[in-house]
Amino acid sequence: MQLLIFNAFCVGAVVSALLMVTTKRPVRAAMSLVATMSFLAGLYVLLDAHLIAVLQLIVYAGAIMVLFLFVIMLLNVEEKEGKLAGKTMLLQAFATVVVGLVMVTMVGLFKANGSLGAAGDASDAFGTTKAVGQMLFTEYLLPFEIASLLLLAAIVGAVILAKRRIDDSGTE
Amino acid sequence: MSKMTGLEQSQYHPLVGVPMATLKPKQVRKNIHLTLWEKLYVFEILRGLFVTGKHFFINLVGFVLPPAGKKRKVFTVYYPEEKVTLPAAYRGRPVLVAGANGAEKCVACGLCEKMCPAKAISIVGGERAGGERYPVSYTLDMARCVYCGYCEEVCPKEAIVMSSEYQGLAQRDRAILRYSKDQLLRSEESVKGRLDYIRRIYSKCSY
Amino acid sequence: MVADLIESIAKIVFVFSMNVGFFAPVLGWVERKQSALMQDRIGANRADILGFTAIGLFHSLADALKVLAKEDFIPAGANKFFHTVAPFICLVPAISTFAVVPFGGRYELFGHQVNLVIADLDVGILFVFALASLATYGVVLAGWSSRSNWSLLGGLRASAQMLSYEVAMGLTIIGVIMVFGSLRLTEIGALQENFFHWGIFLQPLGFVLFFTCAIAENKRVPFDIPEAESELVAGYFTEYSGLKFVMFWMAEFLEIVTISGIVTTLFFGAWHLPFVTDQMLLSWLQFAGANGAAFLAMLVNVATFFAKVIFFIWLQMSIRWTLPRFRYDQIMRLCWKMLLPLALVNILITGLVVLVL
Repeated sequence: MQLLIFNAFCVGAVVSALLMVTTKRPVRAAMSLVATMSFLAGLYVLLDAHLIAVLQLIVYAGAIMVLFLFVIMLLNVEEKEGKLAGKTMLLQAFATVVVGLVMVTMVGLFKANGSLGAAGDASDAFGTTKAVGQMLFTEYLLPFEIASLLLLAAIVGAVILAKRRIDDSGTE
Repeated sequence: MSKMTGLEQSQYHPLVGVPMATLKPKQVRKNIHLTLWEKLYVFEILRGLFVTGKHFFINLVGFVLPPAGKKRKVFTVYYPEEKVTLPAAYRGRPVLVAGANGAEKCVACGLCEKMCPAKAISIVGGERAGGERYPVSYTLDMARCVYCGYCEEVCPKEAIVMSSEYQGLAQRDRAILRYSKDQLLRSEESVKGRLDYIRRIYSKCSY
Repeated sequence: MVADLIESIAKIVFVFSMNVGFFAPVLGWVERKQSALMQDRIGANRADILGFTAIGLFHSLADALKVLAKEDFIPAGANKFFHTVAPFICLVPAISTFAVVPFGGRYELFGHQVNLVIADLDVGILFVFALASLATYGVVLAGWSSRSNWSLLGGLRASAQMLSYEVAMGLTIIGVIMVFGSLRLTEIGALQENFFHWGIFLQPLGFVLFFTCAIAENKRVPFDIPEAESELVAGYFTEYSGLKFVMFWMAEFLEIVTISGIVTTLFFGAWHLPFVTDQMLLSWLQFAGANGAAFLAMLVNVATFFAKVIFFIWLQMSIRWTLPRFRYDQIMRLCWKMLLPLALVNILITGLVVLVL
């Protein structure tokens, strides 16, 4: 039963991701990406990582993609005419294959290494808010803080960009 | 009442016809400086909620379980059953005024037709045996009328006035809304209030 | 196993019928009648069955009949797919959010543990946020797909507003989570057994901020610029009619109920009566036997919870009919320059206090 749902979510994620890349309408592409995120969240739930699943929904589907949609609507981006040229298509296909191969190799290597847990290995505490929080603030504190610094820099940059524009237009 | 009142004896404001006593200099607060208490906002919201909540509970008791003889007064009007008495200044459907002989006062001068911004009026003029002009047909398309009252204002004969009628103006067929002379004709008594009012108002302005 | 299944189904049926069957239609009536009372009017009392008006309750019935008979209209040039899907995206989160809100505690009935919440998730309150953020899509897509400038403006305003207030709401909630030390709503509810441990006493600022953000998230007056009747006709659902229109309407009312439920759970002692602990309640009801006492305690707690919910529904309606609408820039300033810093200050103070104690 669980495997069936898992597979259904996998197929959904892949199909919506493909839709997102191939469609020419911006809003449809954005919504396909949202669907992909939601399917991924479903996969996380099935993998017992509830917190990650919910955060995926809140942050990616709920906040970032809404901003995407907002910009698309604000600029009123129209559907672009024309087809993908043969060369681009070939390049894309090539890139997809390479990335896929790299992924498969990585997973294979990890499995051979033994650092990838087998199915059913996860303990009861796995994926709970407490476990994730403990990991985040002890073992992975440094990466966490570095990421937050990066975000802080981004915020400062955004503020400076926005501020300058107001000064230029002289409205305020 | 047919006497034209002049400016000097009027207790009304010369332009808008509002009793002078009720006119006060308009007070507009342009620079609103909120105090800190008001800026906190939450407490002001609570104050507002207290006011509306008071009304809510008073009415809840007053409507639902009124103590003997203390049923809450309602300030609204039950429209189809009750109707408000409209003030003379109300501009309803324009009607033609009939003279003492029962015929319309209109002399088909065409001023209202010319003046009408919506081009709702169309008149076909004619002459009676004595050389007196009268409208052979006077059509007012209520689907176009904008109730501005220019026709009434411009009429030299007080032959068209804005009545207080407002019903029957929602129809499924526009042809029904094209009123003919017979449908528009009203006796002078029925629009007496409005006639008094326009004499008082329009006499102030010298054209 | 069978008992678990029966329990789950009973809870789902209860919550669903309570929300969709009771609150959604009755809130339509409450909105009309309460606004009338607050404005010294009489309110809805025209719809009658054989001259019997039931203080206007039949208006909801008349609405339902009218809506079923209406034409389902899709404007020319609209995106048919998204236009059809948008109301569902709006309604589904509104209905399903209540799944994590506990409407009672734990009871031992005939040797079977009954936990009065549909889904006792470890991430509880975050689940609410996740669904609330998904509800934004319904609004935005409705605005965009209608091919109407009013709708588009409404959708744009809604997306910016809901996004901003989600941030402030998320930060507000952190204070509560720090105090209770759990994301699980059942646990937060159970910790408020003592009257003086209710969230409102531990997080007074948090309550004001959360309530403000929640109303803004629900897009009701004073934060209703996405639908602003006097500016945008009806905002993002201008081009909707019939059942789809009612879906937006129902989503709004169900969100009122959900907000009330969450506020009750987080700040007002959930299902607990003030000054009454679970033990006291059980001992008072001992006359009915062990199972009977548990059952009666369950009834009392559920009734308490819904009484609180109804009070907060009343409060939200009162706010809606008391305050005028904010301007768009005022809404944004309120969020980013007042609520967000206040939420951060709240976190700081809470953190210090938790650290010291």
